[in-house]
Amino acid sequence: MRRARKSPVVVRQPAPTPDFREGGYSDQRSLPLDASSTPAQSVQAAISRRLWFCVYLPELPLEACGPANGARVVVEEQQGMHRVLLADRKARAAGIMPGQTANAALALLASLDIAERSRLAEQQTLEQVAAWLESFSSMVSIAGSDVLLLEVAGSLRLFGGLKALRRQIATELGEQGFAASLAIAPTPLAATWLARGKRRACVRAAANLNSALRTLPLYCLGWPDATVESLGSMGVENVGDCLRLPREGFARRVGPERLIELDRALGRLPDPRSSWRAPETFCADFEMTEEQSERELLLKICRELLLELEQFLLARQLGTQHICFSFFHLRDPATQLTLGCARAERRAAHWFELLEIRFERLSLPEGVIAVRLYGGHMQAMDVVSGYLGFHQESRTRRVGYSMLQLAERLTARIGRQSVQGVTTVAEHRPQYAWRTEDILGDDVTNGQVQVPNALRRPLWMLPEPMALAAEQGYPLHHGPLTLVEGPERLETGWWDAGGIARDYYLAVNPQGVQLWVFRDRKRDAGWHLHGIFG
Amino acid sequence: MRPDAPSLDELLENPRLWRGHDQTRATAGLASGYAALDRHLPGGGWPQHALTEILTEHYGIGELRLLMPALARLCNDEGHAGGDDRREPGWIAWVAPPLQPYPPALQHWGIDLSRVLIVRPRETSEVLWSAEQALVSGTCAAVLLWPRTLGDQASRRLQLAAEKGGSWAIAFRPPAARSESSAAALRIELRSDTNGTRLCILKSRGGHPAVLRNLF
Repeated sequence: MRRARKSPVVVRQPAPTPDFREGGYSDQRSLPLDASSTPAQSVQAAISRRLWFCVYLPELPLEACGPANGARVVVEEQQGMHRVLLADRKARAAGIMPGQTANAALALLASLDIAERSRLAEQQTLEQVAAWLESFSSMVSIAGSDVLLLEVAGSLRLFGGLKALRRQIATELGEQGFAASLAIAPTPLAATWLARGKRRACVRAAANLNSALRTLPLYCLGWPDATVESLGSMGVENVGDCLRLPREGFARRVGPERLIELDRALGRLPDPRSSWRAPETFCADFEMTEEQSERELLLKICRELLLELEQFLLARQLGTQHICFSFFHLRDPATQLTLGCARAERRAAHWFELLEIRFERLSLPEGVIAVRLYGGHMQAMDVVSGYLGFHQESRTRRVGYSMLQLAERLTARIGRQSVQGVTTVAEHRPQYAWRTEDILGDDVTNGQVQVPNALRRPLWMLPEPMALAAEQGYPLHHGPLTLVEGPERLETGWWDAGGIARDYYLAVNPQGVQLWVFRDRKRDAGWHLHGIFG
Repeated sequence: MRPDAPSLDELLENPRLWRGHDQTRATAGLASGYAALDRHLPGGGWPQHALTEILTEHYGIGELRLLMPALARLCNDEGHAGGDDRREPGWIAWVAPPLQPYPPALQHWGIDLSRVLIVRPRETSEVLWSAEQALVSGTCAAVLLWPRTLGDQASRRLQLAAEKGGSWAIAFRPPAARSESSAAALRIELRSDTNGTRLCILKSRGGHPAVLRNLF
């Protein structure tokens, strides 16, 4: 045992797979295993802490086509012929088998629903399942066109153990209409192979891998047909047979990559997997079979999409401030409906409430054939602590939040520009001494400036000073004005284009209206009305 | 007069006798900041959780000055709901103001600008909707609105919304509206000429009509 001398750890541990090792394992210096700097035993130790949950979807081509009314088959073109790739239960009951031509299948069942295989739809469906599986584990990996892998060792405690987790995933997959084969093993490849073999296996310890894989037929390994056939002609039918072969000869006959796969499956080589992340933007479509213009139905569809969005955001602990609905029409361009929210939000009920306000006033030019919900920019949720009942602070915050809700409701209906807050600015020029504030924005500053109390300012301000006619040097506004107070001279702003030189007066007209008028000293000495003392 | 007939004082002592203006004494009004006005308002101030209508011919004859002390108290006081409920200071919503409320002047009157919400709906129908939303939300201590028209039914809705949200609705209307019926708890008309401003209490729930001169 030369390796034992190199690595003392090995001596203390029993060799897990002596039969494979006898096949010349330690002498194959040319094989990648020996070239690897990681000692096999420590790889195994790391692997034993992992648990891979494999979800294999053998009927994905069928399931990706959506719900069927009757019997359905998926066909694929092979050498110019459309052949049945998969048949659902009803079709199989009618005697339709994979490999038949489409015509033969139609002869068996005239009402057959024939769908062309769509790799794109399969990929999208697989990604949807992967996104959903992200709620069970932070490490989800897409392995091939119909296999998903989850690393669940870290999730067991949360979901109440492996059995409960497996039951939950199996049940929910079934509810979503997927026929899945599940398997659990310490290495990703072993889990995949066991799932493909439909073994319903659950191997927790790496030491049991060998016996679990031994009887697995070679077609479960996903190796090229030619390799499986040539091995079959040698009498090698299952994984156990492969493991009994001398390593060197095996690598020469079928290629070293197959040997690496076997090593990885048994946990002798590390098998790093890249973690799949669902895209951070949400975009979901709902397509209708025919044009719809019934508002109740459209709202219901929107609610479905919002629930989907909520699930999506929940899995990522994110919220969004804006969402956008697109209603597609047959001829007219799509109608857009954007909803905004004061702070990042993910609750479907909240969005639905805002949607209802806007939707009742939305005019759709014609029937809708599809609805799309786009999730906007995602951001981390502002988590607000709950109200315990005896803490004053949390209570005031609760009230403040409902102010935001009011602002949201108002902006949802009448537009963001129409709902404002105000603040003062340190500036002598009256028209610049204040500005509006976005009540929903994050940039709400408390930079109010206190105006000296001695200065009288009108409660109403005109958007622009209004020129007044004058009579014998005195201004007129619904009659001659009497100047009561003043002048207050404002001469400032020479550094920019908006410089002023004005004498402001408090004036009263015959109706008793108190006005704030000024005489422009700069231009024409004309009188202007600038404000009204309300 | 018969000698055994009870005196007026005795009659008033009789618990079976119901007198209209006793009814609202229980609910304290919101002090207006003008002692002369408070004396004429039932409860000694503006009616709370109700609709007040102010009828004016022109803007700028004191219709805002009349409200400012009370509004300043509302947005600075802890508990606009009569002190029984410790809520945070309420917001003051301005729905469809005809001109721009000038923040430095509001501040001068003691209004907390961080609690001012200005809503400018583009359509007339949205004025009432926005005001109603603000009233029922329970976060606005006062809602000032300038509706183009305010029918009997709309005023009833506003009155109900004010009661529901514990808020004070103030609607500004032209003097022509005095002939229209309204559900408002208080209707005031302001008239002004060179001699000063005259305030007429047209309708006051639990109070009496009155005319006040030279309030400011």
